[in-house]
Formats: sequence, C-alpha cells, structure tokens
Amino acid sequence: MLDKSIQEIHEALKNKTIKPIDLVEEAFDRIEKSKELNAYITLNKEEAIKKAKELEEKEVGNNLLFGLPIAVKDNIITKDLKTTCASHILENFVPIYNATVVDKIEANDMIIIGKTNMDEFAMGSSSRTSYFGAPKNPWNKEKISGGSSGGSATTIASRDVLFALGTDTGGSIRQPASYTGIVGMKPTYGRVSRYGLVAFASSLDQIGPMTRNVYENALLLNAIAGADDKDLTSADKEPEDFTRLIGKDIKGMKIALPNYFMSDIVTEEIRNEVEKTKKLLEENGAIVDYVNMKYLDKAVTLYQIIAMGEASSNLARFDGIRYGYRVENPKDIDDLYLETRKNGFGKEVKRRIMVGSYLLSGENAKIYYNKALSIRDDMKKEFDRVFKNYDLIIGPTTTTTAYDLTDPMDDPSKSFMDDVLVIPVNMAGLPGLSLPIGFGKNHMPIGLHIIGNSFDESTIYQLASFLEKQLNLDLYPRKDDKNV
Amino acid sequence: MKDKLTKEEVLHVAHLARIKVDEDEIEKYQVELQKLLNDVDKIKEVEGYDEERMIAPWSKDTTPREDEAKEMLNPKEVLKNAPKHSGNYIEVPIVISEEA
Repeated sequence: MLDKSIQEIHEALKNKTIKPIDLVEEAFDRIEKSKELNAYITLNKEEAIKKAKELEEKEVGNNLLFGLPIAVKDNIITKDLKTTCASHILENFVPIYNATVVDKIEANDMIIIGKTNMDEFAMGSSSRTSYFGAPKNPWNKEKISGGSSGGSATTIASRDVLFALGTDTGGSIRQPASYTGIVGMKPTYGRVSRYGLVAFASSLDQIGPMTRNVYENALLLNAIAGADDKDLTSADKEPEDFTRLIGKDIKGMKIALPNYFMSDIVTEEIRNEVEKTKKLLEENGAIVDYVNMKYLDKAVTLYQIIAMGEASSNLARFDGIRYGYRVENPKDIDDLYLETRKNGFGKEVKRRIMVGSYLLSGENAKIYYNKALSIRDDMKKEFDRVFKNYDLIIGPTTTTTAYDLTDPMDDPSKSFMDDVLVIPVNMAGLPGLSLPIGFGKNHMPIGLHIIGNSFDESTIYQLASFLEKQLNLDLYPRKDDKNV
Repeated sequence: MKDKLTKEEVLHVAHLARIKVDEDEIEKYQVELQKLLNDVDKIKEVEGYDEERMIAPWSKDTTPREDEAKEMLNPKEVLKNAPKHSGNYIEVPIVISEEA
C-alpha cells in the first residue's frame, strides 16, 4: 500500500478498505526488512499502534496526511519517546514535552513511527559520527547516506515510510536527500518553529520535510510551517498552500546558475547532469543564465566560525547536572563537568566545541565571529542582488555522489567541504531543495539544488515538480526486496 | 600557517570548552584543532568588516510580551531525567569546601 500515490492511500482510508493500523504494520514490516540500513535509533511501535487504533474512531476528512506514518530525526524532541541526538550524553534522555513540529504532525493525525539516526548533534556530513553507527545508503550498502539527516533520508529512500522530518544547519537535509535520491527541503529560516529542536547553531538551524516526491514534500511543509510564540525567530507569515504552484507552467521563468557551482570542485558527471537539466528547462521556455556571485567561496569559512561558535555555546548545557549522562563518582564539581563531557561527547563534537570556545573567547569574538556575521550580511545582499533579476537559483546539491562508508574520517575539514554547495543557503537564511535529476556511475543518485528567495518555497516546488514530471526517474532502489 | 598547536594551547582550549583531554590525546588535538583554526583564519583575507553591520537571519518586532503566568513544567517530571536527585533537588558534588 505504501507504494501507492498519496491520493490512492487517502481514498482507501476514506472508503475504509484500509485502516491506519495497516499502514503502520506495513511500515514496521518494511523497517524490519531494511533493518541493516540502520535508519532508526528508536522505534515507537507500541505508541504508533495505539495511535493508529485511536484514529479508527476519527473522521478521515480531507486531510491527505491523516493516518500516515512519519519518521522524526532524533534531535527533535518527542514527549515520552527517547531523543538521543545520536549521542552517548543523551542516550537515555526522555523528553517531557513535544517540539512544536511534533505537536503539529500529531494535530494532523500523522503517526510517529520512530526516531531516525543522524550525526551526533547533527555535526557531520555522513552520519558516521552517530554513537549508534552510521546508516547505510539503500542504493548501495557500502556507501554513506549523507548527513546529518542520514537516517531520515535512508528510510524515505528505502520506502519504509512516505514522510520524514530532518534538520538542516549547513545542508543536513539537502545533502543526504541528494545522496539517496529523495526530495529534501530546507525552508526559509523562520518558516518552521525550532521550539524543541535541540539547538546546534541557532542562527542557522531549520527543520524541514524529506519525502519521496515533490508534492508530498509541500504537503508536509503545509503541516509544519507557521509562527510560534515559543520561538522568537519564527516568522509571522499568513498560512499558505505550498502545493499551489505545483503543475504550473515554467515558461518565462528566470533562473540563475552561478559559475562557482559549476566549477571544477564538482565532478564532471554531476556537472553534465546539471547541464542537461539546464537544456531541458530552456527547451521548455525557461531562461537559464550563468551568473557570477561573490562570497560563495567564503561560505564554508563563515559557516565554520558561526556554526562552531554557536555550537560551543549551545552545547554548554550538557554538563551532567540536570539531564543526560553523568560520570560515576566524580572527585568534585569540576571533575564532574570535565569527565562527563569527555566521555559523553564523540570526537567530532568535542573538536567543534573546543574550536568554537576558542573562537568566542575574549578578543577572538571580534576577529572571527563578529566579522563572520558581517560578511554573512554581504553574502545575503549578494543573493538579494541576484533575486532582483531571477526567480530561482540552481546548481548541483553535492560535489560528488555518495562515497564509501569506509572512507577516512581523519581530516577535520572534510565534513565541512562536503557541504560547500549548500551552506551558502543557510548563511542567507533562504529556502533550498534537493531534487533527484539522474544517476552517476554505479547508479548513485545525483541531486539538483534549487534555491528560492526568502519565503518563496512555492516557486521552488513549482520548478521541482516540473522537472520531476519531465524526468520521470525510477527512484525505487530495492524493488526486489519488497512486497509491492 | 602553523602545522600544530602547542601542548599548552590545546590544554587552554580544552579548559575553555570544559572537556578533559587525556595526555595521549593531546598530540592528535594539536594537529586537528590547528587544521580547523587554519580554515577559519581564511576570514582574515576577506575585506569589509563593519562592526555596526551584522546579520540576524530574522527581522521581527521584539517588543516584550505581556508578563502573565503560564503553565510550568512539573518538577517531578523534570527530575526524571536528572542523573541524581533527592526530593525536589538535583544532587551534585559539594561545591563549597567545608573548611572555607
């Protein structure tokens, strides 16, 4: 059933030919079959079944999301359901309230199926920094699923469920979406409440939908968007229907393709796919121009400073006092802090906290953090300049396709460089989506990155849905294993 | 550009971060942290720093809300996640020495 279109599933629920419990059971069957992919840290089986049974008493109505299973990244807190951030320090943490997005998906009668694997505290680009081991790419189990929302990407790509939530601080929704051949959207900063998202870099973090197709992505964004009293940085925007431009013609649409995104930092096979897409768009009446943009090559440096700085401050709360892991028998209070944090955090997280603390200490704050924020403003203005003349910006999502799980992890810069093409969007607070547009050698997926102006997710969906329809790719990696 | 931090620099940074670094980890951190610091030093090549102009990724009215009583978290619930507690208090090692 879960391979049918969402409209078909909805009709079946309405006609009572299936019940929500059937979808939940099917999802757990599939998760069991793809267990070796390690997409989940915690499953929510008992509660999911209970909720599905409760929904039998409820009117299906016109809500297409009714009764559908959803996976939630494990840095989004869920009441009474363990939330670990893939870290030893929160290994047994059970939140006592819900994140706003979780309240919203529950209000939409969706069913939380489990908490997905990720890089520890979302720090990484391959989900290999997870305390619980890395998820594997459904297209090739020797490859990474990307990160940090690697578990959410994995479970969507393997079609265990249709919906997942991810989070994106420097590409963590879009990059794994690209590596696994799914659709991932990082909405505009402020579009979705961050209340209950365990903070990594507060001025960059954003929650977004990860799905098998564009339409379902927009539907899930409809459900989670909106202002929230509990998040000062959430934007006061009128609710809108993000599906409204889907299926509309793209004739006359003006699209910019920055030269930097097509430079030799990107492999030839990926550049070729993007070129092919450019041609396809032009044949259908869109105007696609190569443009020069300043500052794009500085984005990783700005990101390193801002993200590590903010992380060092945000992660100061994990001190072994109020929640989470605490070292046994500390000598004194200092020993408690030092040993708890030494044992509780993994290598990548410790490195980033240490560098971040240094960057924010004393005069360094001016030299690094304040300056980075200032240049970040220049970068935002550069995007504004391009959006004066263009509706959208495109480019590849990643510089390569998914690499091997066994590739070395000893270069501390590597996890930042993996996200070189997606980080500028977080810097400017803009919305960006990754859409599968083809395959590279060994049939690994390639993604197109579509960037929109602030709060213009709808135009991104318009272009993405157009391409999705034109390309009509087969994005189901493991047909043979499933009971279709 | 330096290849590695001194041992003292690593210990200083670890102290700022309140993370204990064992003797046998220092050497590794000397190289890894320096690598990241060399990365972020690239900001020094970028021109145009203006102290008055820093971005906040949102622009929203931040007038204070009404000061009204709202539902609070239940202390019993909160304490469920505390590693050690007694009654309504979280237990920690002695902070002030008894002799002082």
